Amino acid sequence: MTEKIKLYDDSKCTACRGCQLACKQWNALKASQTENLGTYQNPPSLSPNTFLLIHYQDYVDKKGDVKWLFRKEACMHCTDAACVTVCPSGALHYNKDTRTVGLDHEKCIGCKECVAACPFEIPRWDAKTDKVYKCDMCESRITNGMDPACVKACPTGALSWGLKDKMLAKAEKRVKDLGGDAATYGDKYCGGTHFMYVLKGKPNIYADIHRNPGVPWSVTFWKGLLKPLSLLGVGGVLGGAFLHYMIHGPKTPNEGTGVEEKKGGE
Amino acid sequence: MKKGYVQVTDSYERILHWMLAISCLLLCVTGLGMMFQTFNFVGAFFGGLKSLKLVHNFTGLVFAVSLALVIRMWWKEAGVFVFPEDLDWCMAAGGYLWHVDKVPETGKYNPGQKAFFLVVAGGGILMILTGLVMWFPTALPVGLVQWMYPLHALGFVAIFAFFFIHLYLGTIGNPGSVDAMITGWMDKSVLTMLHPKWVKEMEHEGKLVVYGEEKKDDAHGHHE
Amino acid sequence: MNVSRRGFLKISGAVAAVSGLGVSLTPATAHAKELKIKYTKETTTICPYCAVGCSIIVSARDGKVINTEGDPDSPINKGALCSKGGSIYQMLDNKNRLTKPLYRKPFSSKWEEVEWEWALDKIAENVKKSRDASFKKTNAKGEVVNRTEGIASVGSAALDNEECFTYQKFVRALGLIYVEHQARICHSSTVPALAESFGRGAMTNHWIDLKNSDVILIMGANPASNHPISFKWIQEAVDKRGARIICVDPRFTQSASKAHLYAPLRSGTDIAFLGGMIKYILDNKLFFEEYVKLYTNASFLVNPAFKLPGDNKGVFSGLTNGKYEKDTWSYQTDGAGVIRKDPSMQDPNCVFQLLKKHYSRYTPETVSKITGTPVDKLIDVYKLYGSTGKPDKAGVELYAMGWTQHTVGVQNIRTMAIIQLLLGNIGIAGGGVAAMRGEGNVQGSTDHGLLYHIWPGYLATPTASLATLKAYNEKNTPTTKEKDSLNWWKNKPKYVASFLRSMYGTNMTLEDAYSTMPKLDDGQNCSWLMIWDQMYKEKFTGFFAWGMNPACSGAHSNKVRKALTKLDWMVNVNLYDNETGSFWRTPGIDPKKVKTEVFMLPCAASAEKEGSITNSGRWHQWRYKAVNPPGEAMPDGDIMSEILFRLQDLYAKKGGSHKDAITKLTWPYGKMVGKHFHYDPRKVAAEINGVFLEDKKIENPTKKGEFKEFKKGDLVPTFAWLQDDGSTSSCCWVYCGSVTDKGILGMRRNTADPTGLGLHPEWSWSWPVNRRILYNGASVDPNGKAWDSTRTVISWNGEKWVGDVPDGVGDPGKGRPPFIMKSDGVASLFGPGLADGPFPEHYEPLECPVEKNLMSAQKHNPAIRRFDKPGIGSDIDVYSNVESCDPRFPFVCSTYRLSEHWQTGLMTRWCPWLAEMQPGNFVEMSLELAKEKGIQNGDKCIVRSARGEVEAVAMVTPRFKPFIINDNPVHQVGMPWHFGWITTKDRPYNDNDKKAEVFTHGDAANHLVPTIGDANTTIPESKAFMVNVVKKGVK
Repeated sequence: MTEKIKLYDDSKCTACRGCQLACKQWNALKASQTENLGTYQNPPSLSPNTFLLIHYQDYVDKKGDVKWLFRKEACMHCTDAACVTVCPSGALHYNKDTRTVGLDHEKCIGCKECVAACPFEIPRWDAKTDKVYKCDMCESRITNGMDPACVKACPTGALSWGLKDKMLAKAEKRVKDLGGDAATYGDKYCGGTHFMYVLKGKPNIYADIHRNPGVPWSVTFWKGLLKPLSLLGVGGVLGGAFLHYMIHGPKTPNEGTGVEEKKGGE
Repeated sequence: MKKGYVQVTDSYERILHWMLAISCLLLCVTGLGMMFQTFNFVGAFFGGLKSLKLVHNFTGLVFAVSLALVIRMWWKEAGVFVFPEDLDWCMAAGGYLWHVDKVPETGKYNPGQKAFFLVVAGGGILMILTGLVMWFPTALPVGLVQWMYPLHALGFVAIFAFFFIHLYLGTIGNPGSVDAMITGWMDKSVLTMLHPKWVKEMEHEGKLVVYGEEKKDDAHGHHE
Repeated sequence: MNVSRRGFLKISGAVAAVSGLGVSLTPATAHAKELKIKYTKETTTICPYCAVGCSIIVSARDGKVINTEGDPDSPINKGALCSKGGSIYQMLDNKNRLTKPLYRKPFSSKWEEVEWEWALDKIAENVKKSRDASFKKTNAKGEVVNRTEGIASVGSAALDNEECFTYQKFVRALGLIYVEHQARICHSSTVPALAESFGRGAMTNHWIDLKNSDVILIMGANPASNHPISFKWIQEAVDKRGARIICVDPRFTQSASKAHLYAPLRSGTDIAFLGGMIKYILDNKLFFEEYVKLYTNASFLVNPAFKLPGDNKGVFSGLTNGKYEKDTWSYQTDGAGVIRKDPSMQDPNCVFQLLKKHYSRYTPETVSKITGTPVDKLIDVYKLYGSTGKPDKAGVELYAMGWTQHTVGVQNIRTMAIIQLLLGNIGIAGGGVAAMRGEGNVQGSTDHGLLYHIWPGYLATPTASLATLKAYNEKNTPTTKEKDSLNWWKNKPKYVASFLRSMYGTNMTLEDAYSTMPKLDDGQNCSWLMIWDQMYKEKFTGFFAWGMNPACSGAHSNKVRKALTKLDWMVNVNLYDNETGSFWRTPGIDPKKVKTEVFMLPCAASAEKEGSITNSGRWHQWRYKAVNPPGEAMPDGDIMSEILFRLQDLYAKKGGSHKDAITKLTWPYGKMVGKHFHYDPRKVAAEINGVFLEDKKIENPTKKGEFKEFKKGDLVPTFAWLQDDGSTSSCCWVYCGSVTDKGILGMRRNTADPTGLGLHPEWSWSWPVNRRILYNGASVDPNGKAWDSTRTVISWNGEKWVGDVPDGVGDPGKGRPPFIMKSDGVASLFGPGLADGPFPEHYEPLECPVEKNLMSAQKHNPAIRRFDKPGIGSDIDVYSNVESCDPRFPFVCSTYRLSEHWQTGLMTRWCPWLAEMQPGNFVEMSLELAKEKGIQNGDKCIVRSARGEVEAVAMVTPRFKPFIINDNPVHQVGMPWHFGWITTKDRPYNDNDKKAEVFTHGDAANHLVPTIGDANTTIPESKAFMVNVVKKGVK
């Protein structure tokens, strides 16, 4: 078992944004001009140069208590990654050991199929470079025995990284310890995500969270059904033509009569 | 071309046909290079996968123009089913699948050919529209865009299947047919076997052009 | 959390050539991708920002920084970094860094690039001119003062310790008395409050120790935002020992989001809140009786003439003309002069009973009416925190500007010190008072005396009436009649003598050196607010703003900026163009009317030079040079040396006022390399520690009969060996012991933690004498047994104390009271050393939303000095109506910080990644207030006070709620103070100006803050003043 999971526990996150910055630093991403729109959240959404975004949300619960909810948004690294399924060039790929989803920019052709396919709306396309960008779980770090940059930066242990079984057990225990509405998020979607959450509140109180994400029907239909069928179809056509020629033979007219003469057997 | 060959197409038709065919083939090949990762190697012939995509996209534009002209050229003859003869022909499978003594006679194009035209026309339009959305996907809602991809693939499958049959029947399946699109002249006996009614019509209207027997009024009669 | 261990950096800071961050070049997996940090040179540095002291690895190749990330070996941060620490890559690689000296001609509207030589020559000429014109040998009384009144200096907590000392040396050699820096406006309240309570004015424990706590009270601070890595240890306390977090704050902050218990309170009412806690602790007998009896002055009997505010119209006895005569604040003594005590703590005049009586007025109902905190919440907080009074429980309080920046700042902190003493939380693991300093080296800069009133090592700046060294030592060296008290400050003369030697070496006698040093008039206040006041009144011709940005950090920005225009010349040393250096083109100021000649000198950033900094936990960590400074930027040490040498030259050649002060100054801190001086911080570090100036044989201070021989040039082992006869030199006695024959101990990287308490005694070095938990002598009973055996800080192994370096304890059973820096050996519940009362009493902030103080007839702190009264400030010092509520400014306002920016934003606003995350001013307000004013979230607003206004985006949030103060709703708003006009888009730019990559919006929130300060330290009251908020475009 070499699969690994990055776990985000919002009950320990203080929104120091050490992770958001570490991602920018490690990946040498540019900063964009932003405006304060009445929230601490900035940039407002993921972009070709923002792979990781901390969400800030004021929330008043049923008892009238105020909470400030934080959530780290980044690629979920699905087990059944729609983006990998649709990617024509293999730029998006599963890392063979950790099964996270890497992105090789040399191979990316900018077709943007992954942008439409992702159930979490993660990949972002840059018109200037005509390529798509997203968190790749710091593939060069994790394949060299290091933690992803965001995990390393996190002071409180809100982010952790480890072998899948251990992390799933850790998440389960944490949910139990937290009690109340605490739950995991991600482990049931798309075959289980390699970036998953422990949330101290019910998932649906978190604004902008994807409520029932799954590999889109269009992708399953196309890649799961249509593609294999098309191979069958093509094979059938080719085979059929071959057989037809063998069995029925070409249509040729009698010399001068314009009437078909049979050639070949039945 | 030999003596007794009949003219069946003019140069305009042939040029358009090959524009369409070549662009379509190129689209299929380049598209295949992106559809299956196993075929990514196709990109090597075009200077990389990114160039492959560019070639595909711009060839699509060529295809679109060609298709528009082709539809304009042929929709009346090849796009409209005429009953009852087309249906009868279908019931006999055109004599292709089992032996039929007398294949029902249809107009210039038989229903098989008409079906192909419709698939190319309809499928082609589908490919162009879905292709355009795929080229600029960020402009439309994601839910809509997501379905463009399977539709594009579906269109490809349909077109390719019919294309292959078209290729087969247009070459070895019906020897002597391919000349129609290369030189424009066909062996009269083959033509008569395949399109007896049309030959009769042309003879009746005096439009039949026979090699070595050119008539005074050039009968091309294909374009309006 | 997985960490990758490194363990290959050696003590000398040697670098690893090959593998990045301790990773072998053989990839861990078969499918490894290439790491960008391969083949880089690694050095460690300490983050320059918040004072937690996180260690950072800088990876560089070919002189260029490739990567910066956390150092996994540091026991403090273990590889973690917040957004600011993580961003230092962009501080080191930034096209907007200043690379060449800039000069602004008088009346010019732009900068010109000039050569270093020319700039330094001109600066030295200016200094000499201003100094000679304003030098005073004697004051009006005829006392010798030897001071320069026409030049002032501010800066800097951003300097390394070595630079701080030599800068202090430089400015005092010039005779400056107006010498201030960030510490004044940040934690100046802390020093007297904690020193009065316990004996030393610094954070008592340290960052990692937070993990040992049972209850963590966060009040007067927001560490989740401003000291983010501290939360690593707070979270560990929660995870590993089930600790509870209480957060008390006007606003629901990032810290509140992690607290188990949150209670709101109106800014400026902390004493009321905590006074209620004292009452609760006493009424419910939650205090640790034995500890209180033995280790505090609870049993001391006070002069019966002493009056409490409850019996004296809201003031203590002795108030005369706005100042307290403290005769009645004294103890009863017996015939021998020994303080009379009542060990049963029942005598109505004993401190304990007086404390009880004083806080009996702080009932939950009254407190609730003042603070706006619901009564049930008050009781919840009191009960939970009070539970740490048990001997086996530890509670710690974390505070910062929320307590310091008030007219009652010192007393705010004192209230908590009293609570911690009552609960027995001082000196134990997981306890203490966490005064969270806010700058990378503000602890060090304070230690090294960059404030007007102290020399390095917290020695008082001499006043003019103390004409001789003998008189000085007599006045300033405390004595005691308590027979068991160690009274460590009795050694003060040794430290004074050693300091004087570090200024003038053997070039002068001690007496002459003392006489040469500049003196204050008795009672003279030269602190921050006074500097700006004097400058505004045209008292200075010259000014140094060295590594500081007062145009944005000073209270009443308009006053500061206008004051700057009165100068003849100014020297600004910094990394980037800023609002202070460019004050002459502040939007609204016409450069053609400003005569000031300005020199902007580019300096090296923290990782571009070597040196040490001291974090808030007093850990003295060395940091290394990763790359060269950009362009022609120079380390500050080099710059100040060059200016000094030119002055020494000028004075030697041309003569001038009191030239010996300058020409005889010793400066063995480096060497000339070609035409430039290369300052060597390691040499300075050795001198800070202290050396013997002659061969000497000394009796071991702790082992009578044993003698040790020292040779000239030997390092002094600890401050116990310093001498008062001039045979030792030590810049700062507190750091004595930091450099030994083994090397600079601040470079140590051994992570071992034998006690498991997170002391890490061999990682770097801490003052004093590597002690990690101060006052740990109070963690054991008089027989030497720890109160809590599960968290043993020190223990007696039969022969000596093991664990932390023991503080205050003699051998077990000897009965020596552990607070050795207090003359009487015990901690002070009753603190008569302060200017505004021996017990904290609630007074309203000067600008407040209530007509009356519900606690007493005295509305405001009676010992503060208002600037709008004749003889002090000037016409520009205005307040909203003080006597009654001002309808123009109906809302309480507080300023605060964000995770992503730091102080005036001078460094962080020029950093694109940080500016992207927080691009502009905002004002947080409640939904109710927004509705009242017709403001929607995201609307542009104007926030206005009696002194000025700033634009800010409205952030409408349920995290602020109106307070019910005495049945009336009172609104509070809050703003960050990080912004300034220099990185905004819509301001005039010249062709050669630097332009921010990511623009920010808004100017300094300090436009709003009043010029009123604490009664003891005059730290400005930026946390509670009155404003109005309107939507932009609406009146």
